[in-house]
Amino acid sequence: MKKFQLGEFEELVLLTVGILYQEAYGLAIKSEMEDRLKRGVSVGALQAALRRLETKGFLKSSEEQGNQERAGRPKRFYQLTAHGKDALAYTKTTRETLWQAIPDVVWNLKTAF
Amino acid sequence: MKKDTTLPPRFPMRIFRAFCDPEIRDSIEGDLIELYRTRVKASGRTTANLRFFADVALLFRPGIIKPIGLPTNQNHTIMFRNYFKIGFRNILKYKTFSFINIFGLALAMSISMLILMMLAEQNSSDQFHEKKELIFRVLSDYEGSRNQYATSPQPLAAELAEYPAVETTTKLVPAVGGDITFEEKSKGINGHFADPEFFEVFSFELESGNPKSALAQPYSMVVSQELASFLFRDQNPVGKTVQFLDRKMKLPQGSDTTGTSPLEWGNFTITGVIDQSKYTSHLEFDVLVSSSTMPSLISATKLEDRRDDWKFFFQTYTYALLSEGKQPEDLSIALDDIVKRKAEEIKADHTVGFKMVPQALGDVALGLVNNDSKARLPLLGYYFLIALALVILASACLNYTNLSIARALTRAKEIGIRKVTGALRKNLVVQFLSESILTALLSLVIAFILLLVLVPSFKGLWVNQFLNFKLPFVPSLFVGFILLAIIVGILAGIYPALFLSGYQPIKALKSLSDLGGSGKLRLRKFLGVSQFVVSLFFITTSILIYSQFKHYMAFDYGFKSENIVNISLQGMDHQKVRSQYESISGVSTISACDIIPATGINNNSEVRVMGDVSDYRSVGLLHVDRAFHENLGIELVAGSGFSENEQLAQTQIIVNQAMVKDLGHSSADALVGLQFESKWGGPLLTVVGVAKDFRYKLLLNEDEISPMMMKYNPGEFQYLNVKVASSDLMKTVAALESQWKELDPVHPFSYQFLDEEIEATHRGIFDVVSILGFISFLAIFIACLGLLGMTTYTAERKTKEVGIRKFLGADSFSITLLLSKGYLQMLAISVILGAPLSYFINKLWLENLPNRVEFGLGTIALGSLVLLLLGALTISSQTVRVSRAKFADTLKVD
Repeated sequence: MKKFQLGEFEELVLLTVGILYQEAYGLAIKSEMEDRLKRGVSVGALQAALRRLETKGFLKSSEEQGNQERAGRPKRFYQLTAHGKDALAYTKTTRETLWQAIPDVVWNLKTAF
Repeated sequence: MKKDTTLPPRFPMRIFRAFCDPEIRDSIEGDLIELYRTRVKASGRTTANLRFFADVALLFRPGIIKPIGLPTNQNHTIMFRNYFKIGFRNILKYKTFSFINIFGLALAMSISMLILMMLAEQNSSDQFHEKKELIFRVLSDYEGSRNQYATSPQPLAAELAEYPAVETTTKLVPAVGGDITFEEKSKGINGHFADPEFFEVFSFELESGNPKSALAQPYSMVVSQELASFLFRDQNPVGKTVQFLDRKMKLPQGSDTTGTSPLEWGNFTITGVIDQSKYTSHLEFDVLVSSSTMPSLISATKLEDRRDDWKFFFQTYTYALLSEGKQPEDLSIALDDIVKRKAEEIKADHTVGFKMVPQALGDVALGLVNNDSKARLPLLGYYFLIALALVILASACLNYTNLSIARALTRAKEIGIRKVTGALRKNLVVQFLSESILTALLSLVIAFILLLVLVPSFKGLWVNQFLNFKLPFVPSLFVGFILLAIIVGILAGIYPALFLSGYQPIKALKSLSDLGGSGKLRLRKFLGVSQFVVSLFFITTSILIYSQFKHYMAFDYGFKSENIVNISLQGMDHQKVRSQYESISGVSTISACDIIPATGINNNSEVRVMGDVSDYRSVGLLHVDRAFHENLGIELVAGSGFSENEQLAQTQIIVNQAMVKDLGHSSADALVGLQFESKWGGPLLTVVGVAKDFRYKLLLNEDEISPMMMKYNPGEFQYLNVKVASSDLMKTVAALESQWKELDPVHPFSYQFLDEEIEATHRGIFDVVSILGFISFLAIFIACLGLLGMTTYTAERKTKEVGIRKFLGADSFSITLLLSKGYLQMLAISVILGAPLSYFINKLWLENLPNRVEFGLGTIALGSLVLLLLGALTISSQTVRVSRAKFADTLKVD
């Protein structure tokens, strides 16, 4: 069953939005991801992912008045929806099930080949 | 915190704004700006700029780009309806201005529409051929020629067919011209010898007959539907046998050759019928004769043999059908190769630098080359007409622009309100443009009515009998007309739209005087002046050409042209006709000649004095009879006329005084008895008389009369010159006609009065006068309309001022002066600029014209006077009205 369709990058974005909680707007998400994951994130890729997640219903957004720093342009803050939270939880449990299914011997045999 | 105002580069930002979905645009833009500023602080401006570019580029992806096709604003139709409503109300509210705009644009557009029709007609020519893209006509050219030739050497078609670039070729030899007879019915016809490949290249369909075999056998003939129904009525034409008498009446049709005495070509079998009324083509003919007939005619010496003549490229049309996938360049290479290979055969005095070039079938109808199969307007004519139309169109558009800007003040409040309620500049631009397009579309209606008048009068021009314009109204034209109207609307409205929409709403609403109304005065005056300069140029030019026309009309030709009727002999023996005509009452004297002097056709001979070793000199040549000089009132200053002895007379010539001067003799008598030898052989020619100089060439072609000789040669006679003595000219002509019908029932009686014929040679000039006169009328009319609009507007705006002035004691005259001063100045500037300009430009072409009229200050002054008068009249029509008004009424305005 494909209840939740979530790509790898999308999942990371969702998680970061969760981390930032009330402060999740475009640039904050970008720098948070770059800091934590040590990888570059382009504005384009991020915004496209956010847009996609919003249409899928994992995120909701609201615009707020911008400040001097942004030359008066508004900030768009993103929040996880209940559906989004479910999706994250679902991915997590699937992963964990998979993790647990790996036999221990895999981890112990470090030198075999 | 320090205020950070750095912004990313504008250009990529604009691109971003253009493609981004408006819903998320602002927030992303905010992110971008914030990011940019951080980067500027961290790593400097250049790096930040570069990365900004990269970011914008990476944003260009689905999900961010705004959805295509869905309008972001759904109430367009309602807004447009509003624009048109306001537009209509404005047109109705300001009737004078609307009239000026609409009428001016309509005048200008009707001319452009006429030209569109001409272009459309030419473009529809030869569109029916299936392989039209692959058909090319071969043009010939040599060094120093004025124009290319449509014809090429006769052996070319066979030679060219050998090349792989060419699928097949076909040649047309327009050497068929004479009388066709079938069971007592006879008709004069023209046509071509054509190869069997004719139907492979061209897509003419046969009404009856087989196209594969129609032109294969010798003595086969394909006839036009018109001719077939004349000769055979309802019978099936195919298989019928007709007799043909050739009289060398060559194509192109309408040329002035009258034919020679008939030559029996024998019986021809009809193998097909083409209905030409179905096609528009550059090829027109009554018959096509199979080219396999030529050898037998040549061996019977009934046709000149040009089959292997590479030097004579004046007769045959060669068409090539390219192989599929080949380019015209391949054809050019093939033609160059032939010229190189046949260099020896081609070599002659008149073929220095000979070359042949392909001409696409689609290009044939636009433009005219030498020996073309059908006369039509040369390309230069189109450029000339298009240039004229553009000038007029520009003038009318300027009027619209000018008046719209002038009236900006009246629209300012509306613009202000619209802006305040949220209209963007682009909305206003659209509004004003839709208004101007609406005006243009209304003009289109009037222009179309004008066009209905214009088309027949253009077709009626004398010159059109050579241009063959039919100008039908076809549906696709109307699409063109509407497009034209829309383009004109946009051109006329774009400047006011941009200018008016740029108003700051606060200024527009608060104080009208802050607006640029007066600031644009200079521009408006400049536009006005340029209109009048152009008008002045047109007026002067038309006056000049008209006086040149009058000058030619009143010219002393040196011979008497009144009461002389020239009758075309059409191959009949001149003695026979003459003896019949001499008995008709009212006929005084009769003479004969081969060419009517001073009507544009010339003949030349190359002669030198017997025993002289110098070069042959080229002299004009007229073949005449004994009575010619007396009949036309040409005086002999020395010697006598031709001898009564037939043999002797044929070796005698009469020369003109110019010849005396040319040979360096002081008296005419010295020339009598002198003997000349001709370059082309023949007996020695003895001068028996010297005639007073008379014009035998076109006035347009030569300034001074050049040397010429008249030779007695009855074999060449083409015309009888019948001098009518009776007072009732037409009655005598009627008698001549009925006599003619008895002598020759086949060919219609064809006559011209000499004086009318000479006049007709200058009809072309008169047509130019008509066209230019009409154009200058339009130019000045439109310019005056513009002026009327401007003065009306000023007068309206200044009603109050005038009232106050009058109240304080100013008289009508000073007020009129006050109101018109600016415009009178404008007129004066136009004359100061325009007069020298038109003088020098006209001087340029006039210098090259022989027998030109005196062009002095008189013409310029007359033109300027007309302009000033019309201008002053226009201005005063408004200013006088305002200055006369009672101030009690005018002060109540508002």
